Amino acid sequence: MSRPGAAAKTSTRIEDGPAAIPVAPAAEPQRDEPRARAAPSSAVAAALDDFFIPDFCATRSVFVVVLIGELIALTLSLARPAANFLVELARISLFLQWLGLTSAALLCYARPQLARLSVPRASAWVFALLMINTALLSEAALWVGGSLGATGLTAALFPSEALPFLLRNEGICVLVAAMLLRYFYVTHEWQVHLRAEARSRIEALQARIRPHFLFNSLNTIAALTRSEPRRAEEAVEDLADLFRATLRDSHSPLRLKEELELTRIYQRIEELRLGERLKVRWDVAELPMRAFVPGLTVQPLLENAIYHGIEPLDRGGTVTVSGRVADGRVEIVVSNPVAPPRAESAERAGNRLALENIRQRLALAYDEAATLAIEQPDGEYRVTIRFPYRE
Amino acid sequence: MNAAALSVLIVDDEQPARERLRRLVEELPGWAVAADCSNGAEALPLVGKLRPAIALLDIRMPGMTGIELARHLGSLEQPPAIVFTTAYDEYALQAFESQAVGYLLKPVRRERLEEALKHASRLSAPQLRGLATPEQPLAARAHVAVRVRDELKLIPVKDIRYFRADQKYVTVRHGQGEELIDESLRQLEEEFASEFVRIHRSLLVAVAHVASLERTPDGGYEIKLRGETEALPVSRRQIAELRRRLGGR
Repeated sequence: MSRPGAAAKTSTRIEDGPAAIPVAPAAEPQRDEPRARAAPSSAVAAALDDFFIPDFCATRSVFVVVLIGELIALTLSLARPAANFLVELARISLFLQWLGLTSAALLCYARPQLARLSVPRASAWVFALLMINTALLSEAALWVGGSLGATGLTAALFPSEALPFLLRNEGICVLVAAMLLRYFYVTHEWQVHLRAEARSRIEALQARIRPHFLFNSLNTIAALTRSEPRRAEEAVEDLADLFRATLRDSHSPLRLKEELELTRIYQRIEELRLGERLKVRWDVAELPMRAFVPGLTVQPLLENAIYHGIEPLDRGGTVTVSGRVADGRVEIVVSNPVAPPRAESAERAGNRLALENIRQRLALAYDEAATLAIEQPDGEYRVTIRFPYRE
Repeated sequence: MNAAALSVLIVDDEQPARERLRRLVEELPGWAVAADCSNGAEALPLVGKLRPAIALLDIRMPGMTGIELARHLGSLEQPPAIVFTTAYDEYALQAFESQAVGYLLKPVRRERLEEALKHASRLSAPQLRGLATPEQPLAARAHVAVRVRDELKLIPVKDIRYFRADQKYVTVRHGQGEELIDESLRQLEEEFASEFVRIHRSLLVAVAHVASLERTPDGGYEIKLRGETEALPVSRRQIAELRRRLGGR
């Protein structure tokens, strides 16, 4: 049962990274077992990373707890104008620091368990833990106060009336815990949002520059640098033009002339790499070159056709780019021969992603008025885009 | 230049990539290029003839991927050590790391190349299987490699009628005859699950080549294959699955 095993192995690899894997090829037979055991702990680690209650075991968190405790102590002592401010502050601080640090220790210890629960359940548990801790500490303070006797300093530092003290503390505990939980939750959501946004930006950029193309082009240039320096120089210039275009604001439209020029530049770079295997037939004489087109709509179509249609073919093939105006709409068709099917699900997904990206860009610019259609008439893969003709 | 130089075979479908690798290898003392070629079908006879110490295989090639080629080379008596080359392949890289399989990123650096050639090792079957990822499952081979004296012969999977397990080997019955391969029936069954069906403890049959399913006088079942006179026994346990796979015929 080699393949399911291999799949299970690779699915855990995402979290624990290459460092955790024995490297010596001799360790091969034993490899499956420790990895299988390592998997649950790494999955928990991922859940912990994603948990909204911060890690109270960290030194920084402990420092923040001390600071928050002191701020609450200040607030509470300021709110009692009748008492001696400094004695009041000392008294409340003493109690709150005990409470804060023991609570932090509790949460530090309970966090892995809490991380498995839903947000409301975890919050309920945090409330319960903090309230029990407050009750225990209040009792302890009362007991210490009682046993030391109500004289001098001890009378000032320890409480004497039992029930009101306990109830007040629980009340404050609930309010502070509610505020902190809300704060942790909002901060966490905000961070998740920031991370997701950064990821989607990178993905958008990658959809426009296929890394495969970038590194293959650099490799071609490295090869040409010595054998054909002039062509290498031109390739660098072409690559620079293409990247300038991909990095430009994608919302500003281009003239069709410029877009087709970029597509030809792209074609030149790919020709260096694929040689005889790549042939492109252009049939665009009927296209109005002054028409506006959202940037990078034709070039990715050619890129897709080459990546999925030409590269998998031993002898290569011909991509056809044709265009015309019909019913006030510009119509551009890119077609390529279909490669023999191979079980490369990742590549097919990549194809859908690239086309989806173009579809979205067209929809952003023209709403319903633009379309992208895919047809597969015998042995061919044909993508047609239509969008309103505007000058 | 150096009589004791270790030889390297370069397989890459892009001419500039081959040219650059060739130049880099030739500039390294102690290494020489045995040959370069542009796909797996060309590479197999070259390996048999030239016996390179190391094969540098591009992963993404038309016809046969570098990984399939490495699997075929692995069935040689003395397979070359393998180093994969790739421009960009985020999923494959994790698999290479975890399987301790040598790889180079293009454009290849001189120092990295030297390092990889020095540490290149032969790949074991489990290592190669480990290169499958959820995103890129190890595709079923399009060919099965058979060793005929130290040359590899490729049998297209489409031509294979059945695999039969004997004590130690598996016999491959195909359009032109029979060959022995050193693979397990269980792994073959798993790899070619979409085209083959197990009809017996020791028989794995190509669904497309089945002509008829018949009852025998003693109450058992047997199948006949197109173009074959011999009938193959079907075990009781497999009959339901076989019917399902033949369904509609």
